[in-house]
Amino acid sequence: MTTFARLAVLAAACSIAGCGTVNTTSTRTEPAKTAVPAQTRVNDLLQQIFLSCKEVRMQPTKGGPLEVQVDVENNGFAYRSFAYRFDWVDANGSVIPSMTSQWKSTNVPAGGSTVIRAVAPNESATDFRLQVRRADT
Amino acid sequence: MTIRPIVIASLAFLAIAGCGERARYIETGSTEGIVSPGEVDMQDILKATSGMLESLAETGILKTGKNRPAQLVVNDVVNDTSSRFDVGELTYRMREQLVNGGQATVVTTFGNNAEDKTAQDVLRREAFLKGDGKTQLPDPDFSLTGKITQVKRSAGDTKQSTYTFRLTLTNLRTGLEAWTKTVDMTKIGNKPAVGF
Repeated sequence: MTTFARLAVLAAACSIAGCGTVNTTSTRTEPAKTAVPAQTRVNDLLQQIFLSCKEVRMQPTKGGPLEVQVDVENNGFAYRSFAYRFDWVDANGSVIPSMTSQWKSTNVPAGGSTVIRAVAPNESATDFRLQVRRADT
Repeated sequence: MTIRPIVIASLAFLAIAGCGERARYIETGSTEGIVSPGEVDMQDILKATSGMLESLAETGILKTGKNRPAQLVVNDVVNDTSSRFDVGELTYRMREQLVNGGQATVVTTFGNNAEDKTAQDVLRREAFLKGDGKTQLPDPDFSLTGKITQVKRSAGDTKQSTYTFRLTLTNLRTGLEAWTKTVDMTKIGNKPAVGF
C-alpha cells in the first residue's frame, strides 16, 4: 500500500470514529457536594467498558422524598441505547413497590454522558438500587 | 422423487414453521415490548405515569392542600392523538399510588358526572336525613385535568411521532394552576418492532 493510500485510510478511519461523538466541557473538577459513594456489581463486562455509571448524587427534594441523579458515560465509539430502572428501598432494606419503578430507555452519544434521575415515592425511601441493561443484549 | 429429499424437505419445512417469536409473558411496560411509532404503547403510559408521580412527590404540592391527605377530583383528561386507548390507564395508575400510599384521596362523588353515582346518592340522602349541616361532604382541594397530544412527521417510509402527556392540578380554592407537568416521548421507525 502506498503512503498516500495509508494516509487516506487513516483519515477515513479518524473521520468515521469521530462521527456522532461528543466533546464535553465542564468547570467542575471535584465531585458534587451531594455525591455519594456507590458500588456496582458487574455481570456484563462489555457494558461496563462502554457504559459506566460515574457520579451518583442524592439529595432531598422540596417535597421531601429523595432524588437521585446518576451520570452515565459512553466510552465507546458508537451511539448507545440502554434501559434503566430505579427501585427504592426503605431503612429496613425492603423494596418499596411503586409505579415509578419502571424500566425506561434512553440514549447516549459516543463519548458523551447523560444524567438519569429518579424521585422516591415517599419519605420512607432511604436508598435506591439501579439496574442498567444495554440495548444489544 | 426418492424418500430422502422428501424427508429433508419436510424437516426443513418444520424447522422454518417452528421459528419465530414464541408467545411468552413479559413485564408490563418493559422495554422488551413492541414499540409502535404510530400508536401509544403501554411503555409510554407507564413512563408518563412515572414522570407525573415523581413530579408530584418532588414538588410536594399535595401537602399544600387544606385537607390531609389532599382531596382530588379527576376531571377531563383528553386523548387528542390518533391512538385509541383509555386515559384511565394513566389516571387510575396514578390514583392507585396516591390513594393507597396515603398521599391523596380522590373524590368520586363530586359533580354532575360523579364516578360513583350510588355513593353520591347515599351521601346526599344521609345529608338530607340528618339535616344538621354537619355531615362531612367532600371538599376537594385540587382538580386534575390534562391532555395527550401528538405531533407526527415522516421522511420517506420513516415515521416519527412525539406524544406529549400533560397534566395540571388546579387549586379549587384559588382557581389557579398549582402544578403542571409534561412528559414527552418520541418514537421513530417505519413499522412497529419488538424492543430490547
